[in-house]
Amino acid sequence: MSDRRRFGWTLCLLLVCGLLVAGCEGINWKGGDISGKATEVAWFLEVPGYVFSPFMLTGAWVAIKIASVAMVIGVVLGLLLALMRLSSFWPVSAFAWFYIWFVRGTPQLLQLVFIFNALPQWGLKFSIFTSAVIGFALNEAAFSAELIRGGIQSVSRNQSVAAASLGMGWLLTLRRIVLPQAMRAILPGLANNTISMIKLTSIASIIFVNELTFRSQQIVAQNFKFFTVFAAAGIIYLTITSAISLLQIWLERRFDWERERAEPGVSTLDRLLGLGLGRKSPDAVAPATAPVLIDRQTKPRSEDAKPGHGWIENLLAETATQARQGETFVVCRNVWKSYGGREVLRGIDFDVKRGEVVTILGPSGSGKSTLLRMINHLEPMDKGEITVDGQAIGYSRMGDAPKPSGNLARARADARIGMVFQHFNLFNHFTALQNVTEAPIHVHGVDSTKAGMLGTQLLRSVGLQRHVEHLPHRLSGGQQQRVAIARALAIRPKLMLFDEPTSALDPELVGEVLAVMRRLAEAGMTMIVVTHEVRFAREVADRVVFMDAGEIVEQGPPSQVIDDPQHERTRRFLRMVVREESEEDVAAFN
Amino acid sequence: MQFGKSLAAVIALAATVSFAPSFAMADDSKCEPDKLGEKYPSLAGRTIRIGGDAQTAPFFMRDPANFDNIVGFDADLARAVFDCHGVKYEWFIGAWSGILPAVVADQADVFFDNLYYTPERAKQVDYVLYMQAATGALTQTGNPKNINSVDDYCGHAIAVGVGTVEEPVVRKKSDECKAAGKAEINILTYPDPASGIRLIEDGRADIVMYDLTVTDEQVKMHPDKFARAFMTLSGFNIGSAVRNGDNDLNKAILDGLRILQANGTQAELFKKYGIDPALQVTAEVKTE
Repeated sequence: MSDRRRFGWTLCLLLVCGLLVAGCEGINWKGGDISGKATEVAWFLEVPGYVFSPFMLTGAWVAIKIASVAMVIGVVLGLLLALMRLSSFWPVSAFAWFYIWFVRGTPQLLQLVFIFNALPQWGLKFSIFTSAVIGFALNEAAFSAELIRGGIQSVSRNQSVAAASLGMGWLLTLRRIVLPQAMRAILPGLANNTISMIKLTSIASIIFVNELTFRSQQIVAQNFKFFTVFAAAGIIYLTITSAISLLQIWLERRFDWERERAEPGVSTLDRLLGLGLGRKSPDAVAPATAPVLIDRQTKPRSEDAKPGHGWIENLLAETATQARQGETFVVCRNVWKSYGGREVLRGIDFDVKRGEVVTILGPSGSGKSTLLRMINHLEPMDKGEITVDGQAIGYSRMGDAPKPSGNLARARADARIGMVFQHFNLFNHFTALQNVTEAPIHVHGVDSTKAGMLGTQLLRSVGLQRHVEHLPHRLSGGQQQRVAIARALAIRPKLMLFDEPTSALDPELVGEVLAVMRRLAEAGMTMIVVTHEVRFAREVADRVVFMDAGEIVEQGPPSQVIDDPQHERTRRFLRMVVREESEEDVAAFN
Repeated sequence: MQFGKSLAAVIALAATVSFAPSFAMADDSKCEPDKLGEKYPSLAGRTIRIGGDAQTAPFFMRDPANFDNIVGFDADLARAVFDCHGVKYEWFIGAWSGILPAVVADQADVFFDNLYYTPERAKQVDYVLYMQAATGALTQTGNPKNINSVDDYCGHAIAVGVGTVEEPVVRKKSDECKAAGKAEINILTYPDPASGIRLIEDGRADIVMYDLTVTDEQVKMHPDKFARAFMTLSGFNIGSAVRNGDNDLNKAILDGLRILQANGTQAELFKKYGIDPALQVTAEVKTE
């Protein structure tokens, strides 16, 4: 047993003992006060007899049976209701809202009596046990629905956006990505509900459920030993609820990815007292030691950003993208999009050839990110046509009134478009390797051993072989973004979309990400990059597109658009960006 | 003539057929467990669910020697009634206020637990009355507030059971106090007799009104804590209650109680549980 565990157990025991002693003392004092006789000792000695009486224990077992069955059914129904509440189809969400409003707002006693005594009039006659289970499950469903909804909403939306970009369907996303992360927020509430349900089963005495409290009352009614019998019931309840609390601790550890993989050897006690702070694991130090960047555009700064084993080149060769280099690959025709009346894209026409690297420049709000997200149908378009490799993605009809086809997730998966986000959007509860293998295994059905091998190779080729088992929060921004690139590459993409991949990074970490992108470009990957990195655009891009106010202002080779812009808007933007860049360079020097 | 003769013969035959069994085979004034199917056809094969709360000593409670057993005056009386007819039965233990709704909804068959007769209740169920009720006013030893009748209630803390017949009596009295310019009654309500009696024990109530037998039992057990302030014959009768239309069951209870009253069993049970035998009333069906 580790120090941490031993400490935990000792603390638990001390707390329970303390509570028991305090409780008993309090009751004892009161009992003695009223009777004025020396009955305290006898009172105390009689308690164990009631604790272990089969009559009382049977009552406890009844409470446990009802609560556990009702809890399982209630949580499943609650999940369903939570999803209905989150539905964008209003009748569904309104129904769920109404159910929760009604069940939470009416007395449970009334609900139980209704189920037990009124439903038989319509031929629905349930046994005592079944009636109680139904009553408690329906009630729990309403309460846990709100808990689960809160948990789901506590998971950042960028997690499901990333999952969608990988072609994961909503159910898969819910099961693999959202719920495991939501559990952290949901579990404490569910444990509360379980404990209160165990105790609340006593109200089911109205429908003839003979559980612990009701049985205690019956004994008291006959012998009037309130304190003795209720104290015994209290001890039984404490035992049951302690078990639930322990289960809660175990489950919370299981779903707490940060704690789960905490450094072994540092005990809870040490951490509480701050003793572990002096020690640092080699890994924890690693991200901070990247050397200061001098030329942040061209050279990878840290050792681990160097090319691995040419696996990216192999990957591209396998997907046979080089076979028909030069033909038109992505086509956007007259694409329109508005948000709440504000036009974000105004008739965009835009082509990308196979193997071409296109960077999109433009001020914030120019619509460049929106355009990118419409290429893999993360955002629906209002009007227009977009095809990738001749295929519409998730549209059965395009043009003036685009019509989405049935299975959008499948269409995204089949299109094999990799996407890299500004804020990385890595799955927080997965290791670097799990992030990379998630889509190959669960979307494309790749054997997990094979996917693991490919994932390891990919991570090595972006220079992260030492971080395969690390969780995202242990990695620096640059490392996270390289994991994100590896994750996008793992689906063997035919096209890579980069949405400001370096904007959220500290200046000294930008280089390592750009280095990976540069190698991808050199290997012949078709890429569309939304960026502010003018130097990257100049050196790597085949073509630069400048957008402003939802329109393409000008486009052409970097030498033309960046070095000799024709439009005033382009010139103004470039002047500003270049000035910022040089300031950053100066800052990096200093 | 021929026709008249035939008619007479038919009538005679019909009369013989219909009356013969009752003359020859069954007697309502006797316990005949083996003739259940003849006397009360719908009870054959049925297991009667006897509703009670097991919280109303000495009427319906757990056996202190073995908590799995149900004992008490009402429980023993019900047991004797059904044993007399050979009816199978089981105990249906739930909170007191849930039992009447359960009988009405056919989730239980008979309420046999210190149930007072009221016309309101009798609209939903059929009663067989077997005793009259007296209400005891329980107070602390020595009757410190010197309360000797309902007329002394104004300004005091009086506890009554939720949904009991005493509750409206005390509420009405409180209104009278107010009308007479006196302090209103501080009415406390309790869910089960034990918690009502605790109100006297810890001084939160001056009087707890409950069935006389129950309160007297407390005085007997703890003369150092409790005393009877006064008692009233409330005018209420106590009876068993079955669902409207469950006629065989009600008839079986009526016949059974008549037999038990005739052979002295009910009187013995009164004695066994320390209840005044004078409270017995002749068994009769009563309903609205």
